[in-house]
Amino acid sequence: MRLLAALSAIFFANAAWADCPLDLGRGSGLVIFSDHYMIAFRPDPLRIEVGEPFALLFNVCTKSGSAGELVAVDAQMPEHKHTMNYHPSIVSKGDGRFRVEGLVFHMAGHWELSIDVRAGEEIERLTHDYYIK
Amino acid sequence: MAAALLAAFAEPAAAQALLDWTEAEVRVVGQHGPWPPPPARDPSNRISGALAGIALGEYLFNDARLSGDGLMSCAACHQEGRDWSDGRTRGKGRVDLDRRTPSLWNVGYSRWFGWTGAGDSLWGQSIRPILDPREMAGSRERVSRLLREDKELACGYERAFGTKPDGDDERLLVDAAKALAAFQATLVSPRTRFDDFRDALVAGDREAAARYGLPEQRGLKLFIGEGNCNACHFGPRFTNGEFGDIGIAFFVRPGEVDSGRLGGIATLAASPFNLLGRYNDDPSGTSARRTQHVRRLHSNFGEFRVPGLRQVGRSAAYMHNGSFATLEDVVRHYSEVSPDRLHSDGTPLVRPLGLSIQQSTDLVAFLRSLDAAPPPRPAPPPLCP
Repeated sequence: MRLLAALSAIFFANAAWADCPLDLGRGSGLVIFSDHYMIAFRPDPLRIEVGEPFALLFNVCTKSGSAGELVAVDAQMPEHKHTMNYHPSIVSKGDGRFRVEGLVFHMAGHWELSIDVRAGEEIERLTHDYYIK
Repeated sequence: MAAALLAAFAEPAAAQALLDWTEAEVRVVGQHGPWPPPPARDPSNRISGALAGIALGEYLFNDARLSGDGLMSCAACHQEGRDWSDGRTRGKGRVDLDRRTPSLWNVGYSRWFGWTGAGDSLWGQSIRPILDPREMAGSRERVSRLLREDKELACGYERAFGTKPDGDDERLLVDAAKALAAFQATLVSPRTRFDDFRDALVAGDREAAARYGLPEQRGLKLFIGEGNCNACHFGPRFTNGEFGDIGIAFFVRPGEVDSGRLGGIATLAASPFNLLGRYNDDPSGTSARRTQHVRRLHSNFGEFRVPGLRQVGRSAAYMHNGSFATLEDVVRHYSEVSPDRLHSDGTPLVRPLGLSIQQSTDLVAFLRSLDAAPPPRPAPPPLCP
């Protein structure tokens, strides 16, 4: 609840972010942010199964209101230091929306999703932790 | 619900016959079922699951005329009486081969085929031994001529595919392989003592669960706990369908290595029969997603497909190269594997478990509970009665 309130405060304090569409259909997505970016995303299908391909839907928003680009998405198991056996592909749907195909978490456990975004020269990496059972 | 389940298993009455299973353990054991799963369907194969296709495939599977010299059928190496393998340490085609003949049990549920995943569909994989000069040494011309000229097979083809066999030799070879795949996908291993235990445990049926032996229960706890075997041997088939390096020797003979998955990905990419090619019957493209995105990594060197463990006690020898003769040898390997041989930047998935004799015996007992004698198969129906 406190996290939601904090998110809302940050969200509505910035006019550009207020336009960022967080609802990715079928409810909503996860939201992560940095000083420059707010990223909403959700898996498709919603439940990630061990060994089964899934996609991720993204909305990439910037604080300045300029278009954000999703440069790369990958994942690794930090404990074992191995990546996925698959290299995801990114398709831009326009207006900061992207669909990423070809992700497979082939083991149960902790996966760190890395999301590289750009709205100019510099690439910034944001991360999110998944715990797959 | 969970509390009630735990309370039920904590009752002392039959404690001598049933170990304590935590809620987390029950959940993990539950992931190894239910069994059997729904019949396998392959969208890349338009006759997958079709009775006429399955029947044609069974006839072709047993037909030695697919081979170059007319002496070797698929069934020569994948023998029903040997759990769809050959009982040999390594396969033998026209020459001695470097890898073990994998069992075909549950092969229809796989995503990658062969020890290195050089096939991305069961039909694509079925073409390889037919054309391989070391194995059946057949040809597309020979297979297509057989389908056109043998009246019974031609009739079976028409029933399965809805058209008479035409003059496109490569197309007919692929269609023969699709019939072979349709048949092989029906080879589903029977339920086992483990499945009865798993279902009882998940349902909270303490009495039924207690029929599973204590050594098997201890072995299962080790398998999903300290051993972490289920990291790779995951799910109802006891495989995550991917690849791993478990410390088996690379060399097939002095100066020659088997690169495993690394070579498998290269072979797959070069194959005209992969799922990115013209013979994929799936217009959605979904079935090709893995092939489209598979990543070639340095760590693929020396990796081989994680085999499913159902019927594992009935299908010796073990490992891709048949280097272990018994399940006891396999468990000893995991107990004593040298960490120097395994390369990992993080916590290694395979490490020497240092098992006691009791633990090793329990683990083998659990693995043997994944075996069951299959019921006799009925004779295939006539292709064109």
